Amino acid sequence: MAVTLSFSPSTMKQYEWLLTRYPTRRAALLPTLRLAESEFGEIGVPEMRYVADLMEIPPAFVFGVVTFYTHYRRAGTGKYHIQVCSTLSCALRGSEDVVTRITERLGIVPGETTDCGLFSLSKVECLGSCDTAPMLQMNDDYHEDLSIDDVDQLIEQLRESAKGGSN
Amino acid sequence: MPDIKTPTTRWTLNGQEVENTSGMTILEAASEHGVEIPCFCYHPGLSIAGNCRICMVESNRSPKPVISCSERIADGLEIETESEVAVDARNSVMEFQLINHPLDCPVCDKSGECVLQDHSYSHGPDRSRFIEDKNIRHTKELGPTISIWGNRCIVCTRCTRFCDEISGTSELCIVERGDRSVVDVFPGIPIDNQLAGNTVDICPVGALISHDFKFEARVWNMERKDSICGGCSRGCNIEVETLDGFVKRLMPRENQDVNDWWMCDEGRYGWRHLYSDDRVLEARGPSGPLDSSRSITAFIEILDNSPRVAFLIDPFLTCEELHLVHALAASSSDSLVGGWLPEQGAAAEFPAGFKISADKHPNRNGAEQVFGHQVFGEDASHLQRALDDGSIETIVAFCGGPDPDGPGQEWSAALVKASTRILFSVLEGNWLDGAALVFPATAPLEKEGTWVSEDDRLQRTRSCWKPGETPFPGELVLLQSLQSALGTRSRSLSAAGIFRELSEVCAPFAGHNHSDIGSSGLLLSDRPAGVGAGGGA
Amino acid sequence: MAFRKIFTQHIQKKTCHTMAFYKQHGGYEQAKAALSKRKKPDTLIDLVKASNLRGRGGAGFPTGVKWGFVPKTTDKPKYLVVNADESEPGTFKDRLIMEKNPHLLLEGILICCKAVGIETAYIYIRGEFVFATERLQKAIDEAYDAGFLGNNALGSGQRIDVTVHRGAGAYICGEETGMLTSLEGDRGNPKLKPPFPAIEGVFGCPTVVNNVETLANLPYILEIGADAYRAIGPENSPGPKLFCVSGHVENPGTFELPMGVPLRTLIDKHAGGVWKGRKLKAVIPGGSSAHVLTADECDVAMDIESLAAAGTMLGSAGVIVMDETTCMVDAMLNVMRFYHHESCGQCTPCREGTGWLAKITHRIAHGEGRMEDLDLIQDVCDRMVGKTICALADAAAFPAESIVKKFKSDFESAIQNGGSPAWKKRHPSVVGGAASHA
Repeated sequence: MAVTLSFSPSTMKQYEWLLTRYPTRRAALLPTLRLAESEFGEIGVPEMRYVADLMEIPPAFVFGVVTFYTHYRRAGTGKYHIQVCSTLSCALRGSEDVVTRITERLGIVPGETTDCGLFSLSKVECLGSCDTAPMLQMNDDYHEDLSIDDVDQLIEQLRESAKGGSN
Repeated sequence: MPDIKTPTTRWTLNGQEVENTSGMTILEAASEHGVEIPCFCYHPGLSIAGNCRICMVESNRSPKPVISCSERIADGLEIETESEVAVDARNSVMEFQLINHPLDCPVCDKSGECVLQDHSYSHGPDRSRFIEDKNIRHTKELGPTISIWGNRCIVCTRCTRFCDEISGTSELCIVERGDRSVVDVFPGIPIDNQLAGNTVDICPVGALISHDFKFEARVWNMERKDSICGGCSRGCNIEVETLDGFVKRLMPRENQDVNDWWMCDEGRYGWRHLYSDDRVLEARGPSGPLDSSRSITAFIEILDNSPRVAFLIDPFLTCEELHLVHALAASSSDSLVGGWLPEQGAAAEFPAGFKISADKHPNRNGAEQVFGHQVFGEDASHLQRALDDGSIETIVAFCGGPDPDGPGQEWSAALVKASTRILFSVLEGNWLDGAALVFPATAPLEKEGTWVSEDDRLQRTRSCWKPGETPFPGELVLLQSLQSALGTRSRSLSAAGIFRELSEVCAPFAGHNHSDIGSSGLLLSDRPAGVGAGGGA
Repeated sequence: MAFRKIFTQHIQKKTCHTMAFYKQHGGYEQAKAALSKRKKPDTLIDLVKASNLRGRGGAGFPTGVKWGFVPKTTDKPKYLVVNADESEPGTFKDRLIMEKNPHLLLEGILICCKAVGIETAYIYIRGEFVFATERLQKAIDEAYDAGFLGNNALGSGQRIDVTVHRGAGAYICGEETGMLTSLEGDRGNPKLKPPFPAIEGVFGCPTVVNNVETLANLPYILEIGADAYRAIGPENSPGPKLFCVSGHVENPGTFELPMGVPLRTLIDKHAGGVWKGRKLKAVIPGGSSAHVLTADECDVAMDIESLAAAGTMLGSAGVIVMDETTCMVDAMLNVMRFYHHESCGQCTPCREGTGWLAKITHRIAHGEGRMEDLDLIQDVCDRMVGKTICALADAAAFPAESIVKKFKSDFESAIQNGGSPAWKKRHPSVVGGAASHA
């Protein structure tokens, strides 16, 4: 059954503020998708449709834009999206070992989500933190200078906070 | 010689100093000098994307090759299209285009008219250095009439630009990026606009495939004839493609005064009734089929015994056919002529100016020019009243349209009041019941002659195939046979001959002939030199 | 004159990012002077031209000259778009400025807006930089509250609005015109040039695109004057510079040094030398798009001219160091995979070429290489360079052609011995036969 999406009044206010910052409505598309991402948790088909209708932009255009960029939270992403930087500087300092460790601990390879829906693992390109390699981005936060122990701790910590969150 | 007022630019093309109108792109200007630069993404009807890079040429103004679709000519510019730099650039692009392109030309509908295939012959390597696995992209329906074969897509964006700029419907987009990029629609919103079929035409490869034409024919086996779409009174120029005498596909034909490069789907796919099992394919009387001479004898017998005959014409008849009806009506005293106009459809106008007319008939304007008055207006009302009050006993009615109801319910109800009915019809239908004579009618694509569009453009429609195992005589032939038998015509003429007769007696057509009209038509108001304004002024 | 750090002087201080701290240390004084009504915009452009400040984003174009291209009189609004996309692998300097010294950037923006007559500026920051975005937004809020931004910026009577615009994950949006398309709300496909952004940039209007670090130089140039600025480092590409060192060094990080610091000094002294006591094998000096240098080629000064003379480029000054254990086949595979992933896909040579290079390299690394692949790679690179709308194809081809040329033996070894060492280590059973072959 289709759920009708709608921005909360406060998000709508932010959206209206955004429109005042650009000379064209379309220019506010990327930031509006960010609003939708935080309001609805992900950018899937209904979210794209909502934003398209709200902004009076052809849905296909929004679809083309969303799929061009890799950083919007696509539908079906786990609660914790672990994105391991895999570009050269991180690779030189062991990012592959980080990925391998996460795979061992979570039983998923890059591109997959755990059955419980808690974790998604991705290998991503340079996150602009090469001096702290190897590093990863978990949702919005950077975790840097990672050792294998750090990886273990992070996963434990996330599992704990997930439990805390559900109780 | 360029017009004196138009500023011109002198530049050098392949070592030759040349001159063109200022502001042209290198690609356009070179073409005027017979130098054709290959292109994929460039289309004269669309904005410049500059993404395929095949049109690169060497320039004295740039250390790198430049794209000729977007760079403009300038005084002193020197362009080489066949130098080592230019040829290398083109060959490079060809190789890149082909590495992930499937070698499925033998099963691809575009094969034979594929820009990539053509350039591959002229610029491509004869073997691939690419030994990796090719990329896989989606194959799926994008809408009721179109599918994407993603592996073939070269991401030229012609189709997406068409939907953004020409149809204004924006259903198509490019999704993903890099070599994963491919054409798609938003989930649940198919491409379903009135001009959608054009995207398949302009796809330079076989990525967009028309369901209607899929696996129907190899294009090199088809025969082509220039004609005019009979779907509405715009008169879009088309090319009719036939295989073994059967229509397979209609394609728009460029005419900047009418339809640019486009046609609508209603016209494009509106020809299936030609092959309907319900076609009327032979003349018949109440007791069964009649051969040609017996049917004409029967026709004359009815005319001879009718004190008053009414002719009900339809807006599919050509000017030549109408001229014959006109002559026939004039030869019998006290006859009435009126035109029935089937229901109007929806008009549409698109952002780039392409129009679809609400008048779904090709020749209402022509009929009014031939008869010189409101044949579908007041004349029709007279006729309908005469039928209603029973003052007409005999009627000859024409129906060349795809509607099995013939002239429609209202007219059918009036028609039956005439005790003797001679009916020309494309399709069988209830309205033919009780007719004294039924003749097969020709439909658009079967007629040879002229139509006049709503913009007063006189254009030639061509007979592209003949229905029936033994072709029946069309209206043009039959009406002339009738006149011969009546003694009002000495010899049978072709459509061009009839048109000559028409032009001699009917002012709007004065001075024109079939060969003047050519493939792109002419405006009736453009009088040829030497012909006075007598008729029109 | 002793070298003075302008970006990183105070970054150890907890409150270094606040307006109060910035003002305490002389912040916004230069912008105030620049925005005063007596100051003519042209004198600012002339000053920046005279300073020889060159863009810090990668191309090294003279900043003052770029400003000079913008029409003085136009009916259209003019825009400043700050390139804060920082997506070149090996580069992490602008993030430091935005997180630790955001008001320095804002002051630079104010100066640029005055010089070019701009009322609207956007900071296009990559979507992944969430913390930097927060810091930047906070700084902007402070600046609006203080009246430094807005309808009457710094009391000058000029309106200057600054908006942070987050990207969403695309390397190509660091390319000048890809960034503009993205800012317009579209897929980040670079635009055809001409027209150039200075004439017809974002929203079809004259636009200046400057890198974060470039703009952050402006207050200092105004403070010390063009002559003194030009005296820092080599005259043709002067100034203080942020160098990013990553990879196989003991102490990776961002180092603020005068332009022209020797590469060896940067690695051995500032970054603590090659890690684990190993020997140096290769260095990419200017972000992954630059030609690679062998250890023997590393006696070079880190400035635009010197590196160009060495056949590579300063680029974004992202120095990636590789030690003797590095297999250059694996390094190249990593870099090629990056460009394949990041090509926008609009131009044929880049869309297809990046993927082809990645596939060939992948095959060599995985033990299925052929000797003729080495020539093929060179040829594919030749066919990509200089044939596309933007420089991404070049950026992929430069490292590819130089790595293969300069480290041919690594490739030959991978081809002859069943793959790269790293791949064989991960797949011992698969390559067992091939390995024993060697």
